[in-house]
Amino acid sequence: MAQPNIQLTTIIRLTDVRLTLASRAGPVDILKGVTLDIAQGQSVAIVGPSGSGKTSLLMILAGLERATKGDVHVGGRDFNALGEDQLALARGAEIGIVFQSFHLVPTMTALENVALPLEFAGAANAEEVAREHLEEVGLGRRVDHFPAQLSGGEQQRVALARALAPRPRLILADEPTGNLDGKTGRQVIDLLFGLQRQRDATLVLITHDERLAAECERTVRMLDGRIVSDERAVAA
Amino acid sequence: MNAPDRMLPVPPPPARPRISLHRLVLIAMRELRAGLNGFYVFIACIALGVAVITTVGALSDALHTGFERQGQTILGGDVTFARMHQRASEAERRWLAAQGRFSETATMRAMARRLDGEEQALIEIKAVDAAYPLAGALPVEEGLAFDAAVSGSPGAAVDPILLERLGLKLGDKMRIGDAMVTVTAKIGDEPDAIADRLTYGPRVFLSLETLQATGLIQPGTLVRWRYALNLPEEKGADPAALLRIRQRAKAELPEAGFSVADRRDPSPQLSKTLERLRQFLTFLGLTALLVGGVGVASAVSTFIERRRNVIATMKSLGAPSRLVFSIFLIEVMAIALIGVLIGLAIGLSAPWLLTLLYGDALPIKAALSFSPRSILTGAAYGFFVALLFTLWPLGRAELIRPSVLFRDEVAPEAIWPKPRIIFATVLVACALLSFAVLMAESQRIALYFCGGLVLVFAIFAGLGALVTRVARRAPRFRLPELRLAIANLGAPGGLTQSVVLSLGAGLSLLVAVALTDNSLVSELRSRLPQTSPNYFVLDIPKADYAGLEELVRKEVPGATVVDAPMLRGRLVSLKGLNVELMRVPPEAQWVLNGDRGLTFADKVPEGSVLVKGEWWSETYEGEPLVSFESELARHLGVDIGDQVTVNVLGRNLTARIANLREVKWESLNLNFVMVFSPNALRAAPYTMLATVALPKGIGLNKEAQVARAVGKAYPMVTVIRVKDALDAFNRVFTKVMVAVRAAGSITLLSGALVLAGALATAQRRRILEAVILKVLGATRRRILVSHLIEYVMLAALAALFAVALGTLASWLAVSQVMRIPFTFSTWAVVQALLVATVLVAVFGLLGTWAVLRARPVPYLRAE
Repeated sequence: MAQPNIQLTTIIRLTDVRLTLASRAGPVDILKGVTLDIAQGQSVAIVGPSGSGKTSLLMILAGLERATKGDVHVGGRDFNALGEDQLALARGAEIGIVFQSFHLVPTMTALENVALPLEFAGAANAEEVAREHLEEVGLGRRVDHFPAQLSGGEQQRVALARALAPRPRLILADEPTGNLDGKTGRQVIDLLFGLQRQRDATLVLITHDERLAAECERTVRMLDGRIVSDERAVAA
Repeated sequence: MNAPDRMLPVPPPPARPRISLHRLVLIAMRELRAGLNGFYVFIACIALGVAVITTVGALSDALHTGFERQGQTILGGDVTFARMHQRASEAERRWLAAQGRFSETATMRAMARRLDGEEQALIEIKAVDAAYPLAGALPVEEGLAFDAAVSGSPGAAVDPILLERLGLKLGDKMRIGDAMVTVTAKIGDEPDAIADRLTYGPRVFLSLETLQATGLIQPGTLVRWRYALNLPEEKGADPAALLRIRQRAKAELPEAGFSVADRRDPSPQLSKTLERLRQFLTFLGLTALLVGGVGVASAVSTFIERRRNVIATMKSLGAPSRLVFSIFLIEVMAIALIGVLIGLAIGLSAPWLLTLLYGDALPIKAALSFSPRSILTGAAYGFFVALLFTLWPLGRAELIRPSVLFRDEVAPEAIWPKPRIIFATVLVACALLSFAVLMAESQRIALYFCGGLVLVFAIFAGLGALVTRVARRAPRFRLPELRLAIANLGAPGGLTQSVVLSLGAGLSLLVAVALTDNSLVSELRSRLPQTSPNYFVLDIPKADYAGLEELVRKEVPGATVVDAPMLRGRLVSLKGLNVELMRVPPEAQWVLNGDRGLTFADKVPEGSVLVKGEWWSETYEGEPLVSFESELARHLGVDIGDQVTVNVLGRNLTARIANLREVKWESLNLNFVMVFSPNALRAAPYTMLATVALPKGIGLNKEAQVARAVGKAYPMVTVIRVKDALDAFNRVFTKVMVAVRAAGSITLLSGALVLAGALATAQRRRILEAVILKVLGATRRRILVSHLIEYVMLAALAALFAVALGTLASWLAVSQVMRIPFTFSTWAVVQALLVATVLVAVFGLLGTWAVLRARPVPYLRAE
């Protein structure tokens, strides 16, 4: 099948990544040699049954977990060479994470939640930028609401605004619609894809939903800690 | 295939963003919107400790300011010059008159007798001139106005208690020395009473002429002459003018030997005592704070555990560990600030409240004012302790991994924080220690105290860990209740550590205070009468001594009379150094304050042991020699061969230290710091001092009869009952001990707060456990009994160790520092055990009540 010959830039390069975790029953191999390249601006779905290693892979990409073996390059950086705090700073500058359970800070308003990563990055206009992003996700009138005063869909939109406010090159989403009903989930997904394309960001999305995976440019299937297939969608 | 063919260029390493403190505080305050739930014990612990320290400081400030404001009245003038024995010479009077208006008073102890000789009482005479009082006024309750009362033909204005003791009324006559005086007025509070020291008998005001008429003033009589001076044109309020007059006195009357005081500090001794009490009570407050620190640490641990997800979220959003640590440190310090502010508010309003309730009991009228020192001390201790106990648990926040957001991770039970947190904790501990030591008058005692505290904390922390470990490894008991109780003692996140530490440390202090108090009281009350004399007899003219001794022996065969020549004098210099410029340890300061009894002897006095050097021969006639008390000599830094100068009878006498003696002060025999060779003082006019010890088992009537007989035959001598003198001391001592006990009890209250906090934290886990046990068929009785066994074991362990440590601390303080015999009190120990058991049982069973009432279904659903 003919593909337009565009030169792409690699933002993620994993080479033979292994992850072994200790447990009471002894060491457990979670990832068993994952090799994966992802290009800048691509949207990639990672699918697989529970326990296949999807979330662990995402955590390694976010710098939240260290690979036991193998090379991890994200955004041009060798994650194995960075300390914990440098990883945090790299995350703050270049990676936005959207969680299944939103993980908003319950004592902060929508605006304050979105402003938080900008404040961590030392931005002087954090609130202004946060307000713009909340308007972008349709919550311009709910900026002063606390998470408990927002619906699940609204909370996830705040989380989306928070992930995108620092303008990351990489968006990592872990089952972003897992806690939402179908209609609300659809709205969130539309927003997520819309914003990703608009900003030419890379999206790595973990999902169980095959239809949602099909909307991504590429689908990586995992089973028992290994990549078993890597499918690319036909260009429209 | 469009596989990526080019890697992103390597970006520069991520830069650490600069975040302003203001922004950090904003984020922390937002995070803190969840409220203070879980922090009430934290706040209460800090507030309580700060309140004690601030109360002590503010009360001391109030008394100090009261002193300064009323200095002139308390002192009876702007400046006073006082000395024993010697009335001011004409030249000295001229000098005084040239400085301003002055008033002359003479104070001494004597006996007042009914004319029929049936009753006699020890009195404190104050003979005054027409100018008295220069400041304030002397209120008369009944009778003639003060001036008229003392100036007429021998008249006396007296404390009403004297009339009660002698069975006299206004207008009656009594005998003082050789004079017959009429009681012309009953007086109220004497304005300058403090300046005239602790008094044993009721005050009797006479005119100086009447005093002369009594014949009591003989060469060597123990009379204190005091000259109160008012500077002209309000210069008395000017500190520079006060300083100038003191300097002038030193230069122009170099050998007068006056003790000089001015209105800025009318009673340096009382000021010093107050300062010492302030520091001691501050230490007790610090102990309460440190015990409360356990509650602070446990509250912060729980807080961090509850905020695990928020901390992880922050890290996933790009916050480095230090940033997260800073945000939570700001939060915790803001909460500490609430505690500190509450503590300061309570502390600063305490003097007002105490003055309102107990104003009469204070030695002077307290003036409400606060010094920055008191406020800063309270706040600094509060923040230091809060910081000390929060850094460690906060350090664990740094170790929370953001991956908890993705998967349930069981936090390891005990994680050590990063080395820099451990280093910071040690640094804060050192800063706190240095602050405590620098603020203390005696750095040595402060160091002992802090060292003791560290040791007590280490022992109880170790005990807590040991109990937990032993409980985990204990064999399985057949009795289910006992098995449950032991399992709870060893459970992770259980009560054992914090309860053993807080309750144990609090109880240790209480036991130490109780046992020290007990030893002092039994030393003062029960021990003394057996080993000490019954009477001191003062001012015995040399010629009368033999007759007096014979009289006593005739009245009570078997009575022991011990005598010594007695003069009073002031230490002027040691090794040629002016004692006013010397810095000496607090335990030796008293020797340099005011005048001391001086004596001479040709043999080592009874009750003394020669420890260094040799005693002079009975016929020694060389340069004046002196024997010095060995321990004081060590504190003052003098040794054999050094020169000692005392001012006695208005002239300086220099002697060389020939030997050192060990003295048993507690025997209350005739003990002197300095004993001179006879040739040094033999020629001076002196009187004799004697102690009279009556055989054991003699009745009170016989005891009084001896005193009456002596009084009748020798109207010039003063007889002081040792027991009365001790009672006067006991009254002051009891008041001080009430303050010490109150401050000590606060520590236990802190311990109780920590206990309540620990129980509240464990409550949910306990309810769940009870619910599961109920589901498995356990009855309420079984759960109750298992809790009871657990609490009793905890209380008993904490109390037993507290008794051991408290006893050790008290033994060290009593036998090594105070040098009196240690008396163990079973009752004090039983009290400690009872308090511990009751505290743990009450708080614990309150919690158990809630546990037993919990219905299983909601908890099981929630899980």
